[in-house]
Amino acid sequence: MRAPAENADTRPVDPHTGKPIGPMAQPGYYPRFSTLGQQKFWDAKTREVVLDRVNNVPVIRFFSPQDARLLNAVCNRVLPQDDRDESHKIPIVPQIDKRLYENSHDGYQYEDMPPDREAYRLGLQAIEEIAQHRYGSGFLKISLREQDEILRSLHDGKPSAANEIWKRMPVHRFWMLLVSDCTDAYYSHPWAWDEIGFGGPAYPRAYMRLEHGEAETWEVKEKRYDWKAPDISVSGEFEQVAGHSDHPSSPGNGGTL
Amino acid sequence: MKSPLLGEFHPPNGKPHMLGSIQRIETPMHRFSEGEEVDYVIVGVGAGGGVLLQRLARAGFHVIGFDAGPFWDTERDWVSDEKGAHNLYWNDLRITGGKHPLAFGANNCGKGVGGGTVHWASFTPRLHPSDFRIHSTDGVGVDWPISYSDLKPYYELMELELPVSGPSYYPWGDPHGYPYGPHPMGGVGDALIRGCTKLGIGVSAGGPVAILNGSRGDRPHCIYRGFCIQGCKVGAKASTLITHVPDAIENGAEIRPNCMVSRIHVGGDRRVLGISYFDSEGRERFQKAKAVVVAGYSIETPRLLLNSACPGFERGLANSSDCVGRYLMAQAGNVVLGRFEELVRMYKAPPAHALTEEFYETDPKRGFARGFAIQTVGPLPMAFARQMMTAKGAWGWGMRSVMMDYNHWASFGFLGEILPHAENRVQLAEEKDRLGIPIAKATFNLYDNDQKLIEYGKNKTMEVMWAAGATEVVQEARYAHLVGAARMGNDPETSVVDQFGRTHDIANLFICDGSIMPTQGSANPGLTIMALAARTADYLIREGNEVFTSHKPNDQKPPMRRDLSPPDTWGHGMPRI
Repeated sequence: MRAPAENADTRPVDPHTGKPIGPMAQPGYYPRFSTLGQQKFWDAKTREVVLDRVNNVPVIRFFSPQDARLLNAVCNRVLPQDDRDESHKIPIVPQIDKRLYENSHDGYQYEDMPPDREAYRLGLQAIEEIAQHRYGSGFLKISLREQDEILRSLHDGKPSAANEIWKRMPVHRFWMLLVSDCTDAYYSHPWAWDEIGFGGPAYPRAYMRLEHGEAETWEVKEKRYDWKAPDISVSGEFEQVAGHSDHPSSPGNGGTL
Repeated sequence: MKSPLLGEFHPPNGKPHMLGSIQRIETPMHRFSEGEEVDYVIVGVGAGGGVLLQRLARAGFHVIGFDAGPFWDTERDWVSDEKGAHNLYWNDLRITGGKHPLAFGANNCGKGVGGGTVHWASFTPRLHPSDFRIHSTDGVGVDWPISYSDLKPYYELMELELPVSGPSYYPWGDPHGYPYGPHPMGGVGDALIRGCTKLGIGVSAGGPVAILNGSRGDRPHCIYRGFCIQGCKVGAKASTLITHVPDAIENGAEIRPNCMVSRIHVGGDRRVLGISYFDSEGRERFQKAKAVVVAGYSIETPRLLLNSACPGFERGLANSSDCVGRYLMAQAGNVVLGRFEELVRMYKAPPAHALTEEFYETDPKRGFARGFAIQTVGPLPMAFARQMMTAKGAWGWGMRSVMMDYNHWASFGFLGEILPHAENRVQLAEEKDRLGIPIAKATFNLYDNDQKLIEYGKNKTMEVMWAAGATEVVQEARYAHLVGAARMGNDPETSVVDQFGRTHDIANLFICDGSIMPTQGSANPGLTIMALAARTADYLIREGNEVFTSHKPNDQKPPMRRDLSPPDTWGHGMPRI
């Protein structure tokens, strides 16, 4: 197993100096902004739910240790955190495992998809098969670049192997399932809110500066820095998946009922 | 760090049932005894069921509202948190298929008292007069059995009961004004106004939304926290949970939460006898009723009717027309996202706060029938990340990068009319839920007019985003809302219910939710569902005991019962324009 944080070339890079960025406690353009620092201003139930998410990382109950290791390697590329120090990495796999263990979902299943538990089982198997097919080795043993290449082939809808599996499960649907589970886990964490400058819970206290992107007195002004993905990765550049944006595959949450 | 003015926030002492930061249920709820026959059972206490429950209770009927989900205590159960709001949605499994499968759950379905109004963004535009006769005027879809003028007084009534905030002059459809003033703008609303104004498109700022901009009674005003679709803990955003259910309880209605209705029973005289349901402990029970109203919305209503098939009703209840489950509609709801050089911070202010209906009506020059609206939406980080995944194809470092720009993005929702099609439908799937009840399967396809409308509307919405000054514009296809699948009409051969929601086939079985809408316009359906419910209530109340005995429906319009509004409705707001 690699230890990405120790390995300089897995970190994002300052394009001006070519130097790696991080690892650090808090990447992003809002230095020292802390939503958790505002928790006294939240209602009790919200505080309980958010603190539980931070403090009580669920134990793995659904995946086998082997599958959990594999999924962890996958998630490390789908949502890389090499710019975060070890104590500030946001747990992804435990959240996916919890969801599957509890059989919780968004309330629907595509007709052409197996149930989510089966989808993950099949998807991990397919990723292993592709790694064997392309690189003659397991996903855990290939380089990060090679791992990225396999994931990019899923993103592009052009996997080079495991055709039997993709007949049972459209590759783009598995990709959306995987990516959205990763982003759900990451962006529901208050450390990610700090990273992107999202103000977080605001009840009972209000937001009062609504226009022109102005910060509340307790929010932080944006302080941008340039960075680019490490050369070893291919996920910094991406193209819109052909045609996908016209097929609502994403269980979006921005309803206007 | 400064401390909160009133100290750290703790739950209120004594734990009364809270419906907001101030509002609470004071009255003990009446409970009908086991085996007692009630006048009405209402299945589903959402937009339609909530309003109807309140009316029937106030008129003195014995009525029970069943809901498959909880009777929310908003202080105890709700959070200012995207992920933590997951349990507000109908998350029980459904199968979705067709060439353009619909998303359910958070997208359009609530579970719990208040139903979808708990997590609606609460845009409350009316339908336009033209919506009621699109077959006559455009040669598409179907005409309603009623006209705009039948519904207009109920729109006005609901706009006061919720109440609705918006401009004093709203120019589209039947021009009208709103009883509460418009809300202040947030960054997304500013972008919509800027883009529309640059293109010479009229735009409504600050409403119509069912959110209080000033306190009223035990409901405080909006605090612009942006978590509208995660449930309004403030109590500023209207939901039937806080606007109608308390008055229903005050007037003797019972709510049975966490009770899943599994079957409607019909007797030898082809009248319903009552319902079977699974209580919160999973025990199957029977509730006798003189009449049953199904208010489960466009998926659960047809599911229950189909699951209640029995000798004499082999295709399901009220389904002699084979229309139960058919003509399911969703609105095209593409999200258009624009990146701006300057900061927007779109998480502030309600997602719903400005819109334009300039493109609502048919324009022959566009080459398709009917039209669309453009509205603000304000996705929070989890939803925005999913949108970046589909709209941009973002993943990996690209996802991290675009998400770091979250505060630079604004988003508009295009809301387009999709026409009713018989093959867009709800059926029963092979799979069963945890109670052993067959689940629903939905099939959805777009047709030619729908696709042309979406293409045009999507491009127009993107044009507005560019005009607002965005430096990058992307979009994600999706659908918003549901209606249809048990449509109303005068002809029992081609519709499920009459104009009052009474099923053509069974005289004491009614439907009161969005499923009865024959077409949908480009207006968010919530207000229309409530207006229809209030009209059904007036009908049932005028009919009185006739409903429980007569086989011959009376099709005379009922008088309007303004005296049945929740207290404090009158004496607020604007005179009628």
